[in-house]
This record gives sequence, structure tokens and C-alpha cells, in this order.
Amino acid sequence: MQVDLSGVTVRFGTLTAVDNVSLHFSPGEIHAVVGENGAGKSTVMNVLFGLIKPAVGTIAIDGAEMQWRNPQDAIARGLGMVHQHFMLQDSMSVLENIVLCSEPVSNLGFVKFNTARARLREIAETYGIGVNPEKRIADLSVTERQIVEILKVLYRDAALLILDEPTAVLTPQEAASLFQILRNFRASGKSIALITHKLDEVMEIADRVSVMRAGKLISTKPIGETSKAEIARGIIGGELPASLTRATQAVGEVVLAVDGLQARGVGKTVGPVSFDVRRGEIVGIAGISGNGQTQIIEALVGLRATTGGQASLLGHTLRGLDVGARRALGMSYIPADRQRVGLALEAKVSENAAIGREGTKAFRNWLFIKRAAMTSFARELIESYHIKVAGPNARTSSMSGGNKQKLIVGRELSRGTPLIIAENPTWGVDIGAIDFIHRELIRMRDAGHAILLVSTELDEVLALSDRILVLYENQIAGEFAAADADRLAIGELMTSRSKVVQVA
Amino acid sequence: MDIDFRNQLLPCVSVFAWIFGILLVLMFVANAHFGEAISGFLNGAFGGRNLAYLLTTLSRATLIVGMALAVMISFRAGLFNIGGEGQLVIGGLAAALVGVYMPGPGWLVMATGIVAAMAAGGLWAVLAGVMQLYVGVPLLIGSLLLNYPARYLGSYLVGHPFRDVASGLPQTHLVPNEAWLPLFSGTRLDMGILFIALMSVLAVIYCNSTVPGYRARMNGLAPEFARASGLPVKRIVLQSLLMSGAIAGLVGALAVFGLHHRFTDGMLVQPLYAWTGIIAVLLVGMVPWAVPISGFFFAAIQTGAAGMERTADVPKEIGLIMQAVIILFVAGRISGVSLAGKSGENDNGH
Repeated sequence: MQVDLSGVTVRFGTLTAVDNVSLHFSPGEIHAVVGENGAGKSTVMNVLFGLIKPAVGTIAIDGAEMQWRNPQDAIARGLGMVHQHFMLQDSMSVLENIVLCSEPVSNLGFVKFNTARARLREIAETYGIGVNPEKRIADLSVTERQIVEILKVLYRDAALLILDEPTAVLTPQEAASLFQILRNFRASGKSIALITHKLDEVMEIADRVSVMRAGKLISTKPIGETSKAEIARGIIGGELPASLTRATQAVGEVVLAVDGLQARGVGKTVGPVSFDVRRGEIVGIAGISGNGQTQIIEALVGLRATTGGQASLLGHTLRGLDVGARRALGMSYIPADRQRVGLALEAKVSENAAIGREGTKAFRNWLFIKRAAMTSFARELIESYHIKVAGPNARTSSMSGGNKQKLIVGRELSRGTPLIIAENPTWGVDIGAIDFIHRELIRMRDAGHAILLVSTELDEVLALSDRILVLYENQIAGEFAAADADRLAIGELMTSRSKVVQVA
Repeated sequence: MDIDFRNQLLPCVSVFAWIFGILLVLMFVANAHFGEAISGFLNGAFGGRNLAYLLTTLSRATLIVGMALAVMISFRAGLFNIGGEGQLVIGGLAAALVGVYMPGPGWLVMATGIVAAMAAGGLWAVLAGVMQLYVGVPLLIGSLLLNYPARYLGSYLVGHPFRDVASGLPQTHLVPNEAWLPLFSGTRLDMGILFIALMSVLAVIYCNSTVPGYRARMNGLAPEFARASGLPVKRIVLQSLLMSGAIAGLVGALAVFGLHHRFTDGMLVQPLYAWTGIIAVLLVGMVPWAVPISGFFFAAIQTGAAGMERTADVPKEIGLIMQAVIILFVAGRISGVSLAGKSGENDNGH
């Protein structure tokens, strides 16, 4: 099935999110669409899938022009989308999830699960993938859930599969097996649209790559006629930032000591975990999301009660201290969820910048808040952290994701505390902001701060950390020094209980 | 305020247009003379001999605005304290008991009564906060349910131990004349309105310019953000509720010392002051300076409806229907706001 998008333009109010973009998806081809967050690639896919109506432009299947009223129309014509965030019902079985909304129904109105089961078996055999259809989604691993999402699309006879950041939650091994599945699809003549920002994946699997930037299509080329560097230049519209350099330095005394810490997790206890973070080092915690990272961080920050063990900061125990007291003792926290935990989106930028400082002399005059001080402080942050925003009095929700994140990073790092806890600090932000935030973290490390970095992005952990801890099923499965960190070994620990525990 | 202002103004205008339209239809149904009804409404709300009706409106507005301020303080902190009624009743009771039974000069009795009412209302609200923080009863439920003990405690106390049996009604004895709030000379409007005017100014200052006001608002906008930023969340909850309840208690005291001069069972519940206060706050989206205006507006609708009944034979239920229509608009707007919030969450330009 040949699918052609021609001259698509999408406007949100005055903003042109997609500007005259044409993309072509041919059978037996994997077509990667790359670009930064906000470049418009997801919007284009949403147009293709009938979720957004374009202001201008057409969708044609095998040359016939289509008008989607809603995604059901697109699904009926053989399009299938696997969303970045799984859309599965946890308490239902794999089979129930897959047939949902396209159930084979008998004359009496009962769902013919046996027919569905047989069809699923057929699909599994054709493409060499399968999941036990009777299992509950809640009991599945992340990869298995991804496969269920793909099966859902195949069950509906999709001829064009749209995959939005499919490897975001997968380990290198899992990604490799997903790619094998995609190759089988290609061999069987399906078209695949792969949205990603990982260029290594593009080079490995795609046949054709389209680069988008700021809503415009920059180029579409067969993979053989382009290079990783060229694609990267197209994405950011200039030269790539120089790669990070990390001078080795002697570490200082222990800042954060965690000893047998336990916290209540989802269904079971997280931990016990023990580790130290010293002055002048970045300790990275790698792991697939949902393996206890959130609970450990929350327990350290004071947002979650511990059920055992203890932690101390600069020799003071953290037991019994609330978030405010811990921060006052010398802790800063860059939370993973900037939308709800990191910022109050409806408040002004200056109000978000000053949070946690409002009690200090500089910002408080008896009962009253010093608005002028808040404004000028926000202006300082905006300048020194290169935040793009209308001004200190702009509403925080008006900023882009990267700038919101820079505001949080600036607010927290400018406190200059001995310990900095950063949780997925670059999740969903553009390359420029990622590079900036990484450099800031390294600068803080070089200046002798202790940094605990938790990231589900393995590349980020590898690029920044002096030591790497791997979390698997709420336990530390292994530890590596940066020098002997090996992607594959870490990937293996991320998915299976440790075979070899390497102590650096 | 600049952002808030534009967001508030437009919906208000359209709400008024709709209200006017619906009013027209209702008049038609009630078979009333339209011009007469409107002039009756306006006269009932803002006119009268020597502006007597306007003063009635102001007197009612005093209590409604007071309750609205109480609600605003907690809503802005993200605390859905809908127990204003209970806090109002407890405050009124405390004021009446002090007023009737405390010996001493009138001004001292009144001052003590007001302080006691504020303390009682405040503690009643804090009780709901404590139940949320330490027992896990959601504030929405806890504060609502605490209305009932307050109400029936009031009914019992004025129906039995403290009843003025001779009056034949479930009510306390009269507060001695010396302890009444003075009237503005030549009118029947008491000076309670000055307390609420002062409270309105203080509330605006509190919300916009003080450290606790800033903290409370951050907690209201994003509770998880407030917590992770190390704000003293428990203190914010209890402090906001204490203030909110104290204002409700003050309103109770003003009703006792200014309007009724005793506590009669149901006198603070039946007119729905507390609930009208909530609606008045929601109508203007918790913008502090607009709350008194909104409260006055609702008072005017109620007295205007009574005036309309007197002069144009339009049942005052029409006025109440109008108020209900406004509530529906408010409810629609609230869900509209939360939907807008959702779409705003998407920050990556997808």
C-alpha cells in the first residue's frame, strides 16, 4: 500500500506547527522520520492517522485521495499506530486488549474469543512474534507490552505501521529484537513509519530518512545517500555541539550515604539499596523505568516514607526530616515530571523561579514578598541559563519543554548545594537543551558538588557518570566504573537478575 | 492579574448576555410586563425610599461577600473547604452566647464575641484539615460533613439549654442593646459592612503580596510542586483553613451583632450564605479583587428578585431560577477551564 502525504500544513492558532510537508510511504520500506521535539513529526503522524485535520494538504492511499473524519477511518483503510505511551488496559488480558473495539461478534452478541485466538496465532506464526494471549497486561514486561501494541495493529490488518519512539523504554537487546520484527514486516511488504530521535537506530534499520525541523521538511533521502552527521546537521540546523569532555578528577568526601534504604513500591518493597555519592562525582543510576528509581529518589528527597535503612547527607541523618529541612541541609532536586512536580504551570516564571527561596531575607520583608527581588532573580536565571521566554512575568506554561526544564535546572543548580539529585533531567527536551543541561551538570561536578543522576536514557547515564549503578526489580543489580562501563553488559543487567556483579 | 483579567472578563460578559436572554424568556412565560419587572428588579436591588432597598442589598452582600472571602482563601490554596456553613454557624453560636451571657460594657462584649466567633469558626475549619492530614478523610468530604454537627449543635443549643422560651421560637435571648453593631446614622444598615470591606482589602493584600499567600497559591496551583519544593505543606493547609474558618466565624458574629441580635435556629443556614459565597468565588475564578463585586452581584439578584415580585407580580422563584442558571454557567466554565489546562499540559509541540 502506497501512502502519500502531500503539502500538509497544520496550524494551531497563529502557530504553524507543520509547514507544507510531503512524505511518501512505500510498501516494503522502513521510512524514518527524525527531528527534535516540537519539530512537528508527531503532528504529521497525527494528521496521517486522522487525529488532526490539516489546514492544507491531502492524504492519498494508492493514489486515491482520502478524507479522515477520525482515526477509525484511517484504521479501516489499513493504517495502524503504536503510540509512545502504551494505551493498554492493565487489568485485562492480552487477548481482550487486542480485540478491543474490533471484537469478532457472534449472532447472539457474544465475543468469539476462539476466533480471535486463532487469528492471533496465525499472526504470531507469520511474523515470529507472540505473547501468551491469556496473560494480564499488568504481568507483562515492557517489551511484551510493546509487542501487544504491535499485535493490536496487526490484528486490524494494518498495511502501514506508524511507530512513535518505539525504543524509548527498551534496552539495547530488546530494541534489537524489535528491529528484527520490523525487518520481518518489511519482508512481508508492509510499510513502516518510524518516528525516532536516535540516529543510530535510523542508520541501522531505515531505508529512507526524512528530517524535520521547526515544522518544515528539510530533506528526504535513501539511507545510502546520507550520513549520520548530515542527518544530525539537518535536525539541529547547524553543526553538532562538540562532544562532552569529562576530566578525571579525584573525588572528595562522602556527601550522600545510603545504607540499606527501603521504601514501599508498587506492590512490593524497593531496596534495600546502599551506595555513596562523593564530592566531585556523578553517580548514575541506569535502569528501565519502573524498577524502583522513583521510589528511591522520593525516599531520599523526603516525598516518600522509608520502611527501613537510612540515608545521611554530610553526616546528618535524614530520618524524620521533611523535604524543606532536607533541602535546607544541602540538597537540590530536579524532578522527572516538570509539568506537575517541577513547576506550577499557571504561575508566572518569576514565581516558579523563587520557589523555596521565598522565606529568605532576599525575598521576604516581614510578612511581605519582595516582588521586585523575585523579578530580578528570574531575569538573572533567564540570562545565565539562556531561557527563551517573554520575560519574568510570562506565564510558565507559555515556555517550550526545553526552556521549562532549563528554568528548573537553573533554579536548582543556582542554589549551589553539596548534593544535586537529577531525575531524567533531559527527558523530552531538544538537543540544544540536552547539551546545555549536561554541560551544567558536569560543571557542577567539576566544581565539587556530588550529583546523583537517575535516567532511563542509558546513553545519558553513560555520557555523564563517573560510576554507574544498575537497577533491576527494585535492587541494585550491579555497579560499574565509567571506564569499564559496557553498554551491552549494562543492558543485560537492566533486564535480568545479575549474573555477574562487578564491583568497581 | 493582567493575564487573569482578560481571561475573566470575556466569560463574564457572555454570562451576563445569556442571563439577560434567559430572563426575557422567563418573563414571557410568567406573563409579566417586561419593563415593569426590570424596573421592579432594579428598584428592589438598588432603589427604594431613601435607598432602603440598596441598603438591604448591601446588608445581604456583607454576609455573602464575607463567606466568599472565606471560600476564596481556602480554594486558592487548593483546599476544597465547602464547610463554610458549619464554620459560619459555629461562629454565630459563639458570638450569640458571648453576646447574651457575658457581662461587661457593650463594646467589650461585642469585641469578645467577634474574637470568639472567629476562633470557633477557625477551629471548626482546622478540624476538617486535621482530619485530612492525620486521619485521611478528604477535605471535601470532611468539611462538608462537619456542616451537619454544627447545624444540629446549633439547633440543640438554642432549642434547649439556651432557648428564650418566652419567644416561642428556637432562639437565644436578645443580645443587650449596648452590644449591637451601630447603624449608619439615618439608615438601618449596620456597620458590619466595614469589617467585610476591611477584610476584602486584607484578603487582596494577603493573596497578592504576602509570603504565606504566595505559598498557599503555589500549593493550590500545583500541590506536588509545592511539596517537592519543600514548602511547609501541612502548615499551609492548617493556616489557610484557620483563616478561612475565622472569616466565616466573623460573618456569623456580624449576623448576630448587626442583623439579628440573637441566634435563631436556621438563620444562617436558610439564606444559603455559604453556598452563595462559593458560587460567587467560582464565578470570578478566584481573582481576589473581583470576589467582593461578585458577592454584591449575587446579593443584588436576591433582593432584586424580591422587588420584582412586589411590583410586577413576577414570582421571586424566577430570580432563584436565574441564580441556578448562573450556577450552571459556572459549572460549565469550570470544566472548560480544566479542559484548557489539559491541552496546555502538552509542552512538546506534538
